[in-house]
Amino acid sequence: MKSSIQFIFQRYWNPYLVLVMAGILSALYFGLTSTVWAVTGEFTRLGGDILLLFGVDISDWQYFDMVHLQGTTWNRPDGWIVWGMFAGALIMVLLSNSFKIRLPQQKRRYVQGLIGGIIAGFGARLALGCNLAAFFTGVPQFSFHSWIFIVATGIGTFFGAKLTKTRWWKGKPSLIRGNTQPTQLKKRIIQPYVGGVIAALYIGLIIYFFVSGQKLLGLGALFGLAFGILIERGQICFTSAFRDLFLVGRSIMAKAIIIGMAVSSILTIIVISIYDLTPITQIAALSTFVGGALFGLGIVMASGCETGMMYRLMEGQILFLPVFVGNIIGATFLAYAWDHLGVYNVLVKSGTKINLLDTLGPIGAISITLLMLGGLYALTVFGEKRYQRKLAIKRGMSIHAS
Amino acid sequence: MQAKLEADFTLDLRGESCPYPVIYTLETLEGMNKGELLQVITDCPGSFRNVPEEAIAHGYKFAQDPVKNGQEYVFHIYA
Repeated sequence: MKSSIQFIFQRYWNPYLVLVMAGILSALYFGLTSTVWAVTGEFTRLGGDILLLFGVDISDWQYFDMVHLQGTTWNRPDGWIVWGMFAGALIMVLLSNSFKIRLPQQKRRYVQGLIGGIIAGFGARLALGCNLAAFFTGVPQFSFHSWIFIVATGIGTFFGAKLTKTRWWKGKPSLIRGNTQPTQLKKRIIQPYVGGVIAALYIGLIIYFFVSGQKLLGLGALFGLAFGILIERGQICFTSAFRDLFLVGRSIMAKAIIIGMAVSSILTIIVISIYDLTPITQIAALSTFVGGALFGLGIVMASGCETGMMYRLMEGQILFLPVFVGNIIGATFLAYAWDHLGVYNVLVKSGTKINLLDTLGPIGAISITLLMLGGLYALTVFGEKRYQRKLAIKRGMSIHAS
Repeated sequence: MQAKLEADFTLDLRGESCPYPVIYTLETLEGMNKGELLQVITDCPGSFRNVPEEAIAHGYKFAQDPVKNGQEYVFHIYA
């Protein structure tokens, strides 16, 4: 018993396992609700809610019509996906006794986080989804816009990684000669108890939703909780999947995400054919590419994407507060720019919704999707190998020089 | 408690979020003389996994297993 508790709470889970589970759950969620695991649409709606709160007239903003801004975040299933993810992550952080207020030593990080958050929020909504709806849950819907988004995010992240390496951006760490004492350990451990209470309250809320007939809210809250638990326990970071490949040749997160998407794609096509559901397709246009590239750049600047930000904030990493605020500002600004600044006319209007299921049929769609994911996997391995080769040459040279 | 190790340098990265713990650690190790010992203290949960993995992938050796100290981790790595 003790060892299983240790396994669940003291160690982070294998990213492959976590992402396969997330892929299965998101296909299941689609089967049950006909909607996908997504978060930034709700961020835009939250921005709309805040504008309404301040008495801004947003009735003529087309974007809010498009994302169905109705009611409040508490009676939207997408809202409960977001709050459920926060809750799930927080509960796991507390149960594992790993909450701590973490203030960045480098003050510049706050500015970087806010600006990066704004760019990422703007880019994600321009592309009509972040790494979930336009990536992890977009590819399994066979929406071609996800393919454009992936390429564009890769490019944006590449430039973000370059920026991260510059001296003025990364700052200098505090390097001390000799030893420093680590923080004194606290004797009393209360976090797991607080986590347990929050978990009990939250489960009570889910039961209330189901008992009172609000099935969609209950499902949103339940799946949100599960997604939050998974991303926190697996430390699932879409930002690092791309960025760390460029920075340090780290490939595990990218590989795990690709495998998760492959599993989700297979399950989703089964769900679609059994229940005769319509996959969710977004417009593929220039806006998808521009939005993806901005998103890629923004998430590296902010050190976290829309989902990574959520569990990191729950861990007590204060840096991600300005990132969250930035995400909402960016998403809301895009909603404004959509029709008021001509974004729709310039970047979106000429695009069309392309779904691979319609154009290629089920066999064609799943085959080409798996082929594309296989290609991405091969590229990831290639990137990793290339980095290691360069590293070996560099180390060889330094040994030779000394 | 682990045996006290005398580090030549200490990187105090408490508060820094990923990817900076990895970047700082690798850069500092690169700048040190071979055989010197670096102590790294981090509290970004992502770094508990990626700092040791990346240090090893880049060819560095650990003086001992990483030590979990409450919500922080302490690493001892030879340059």
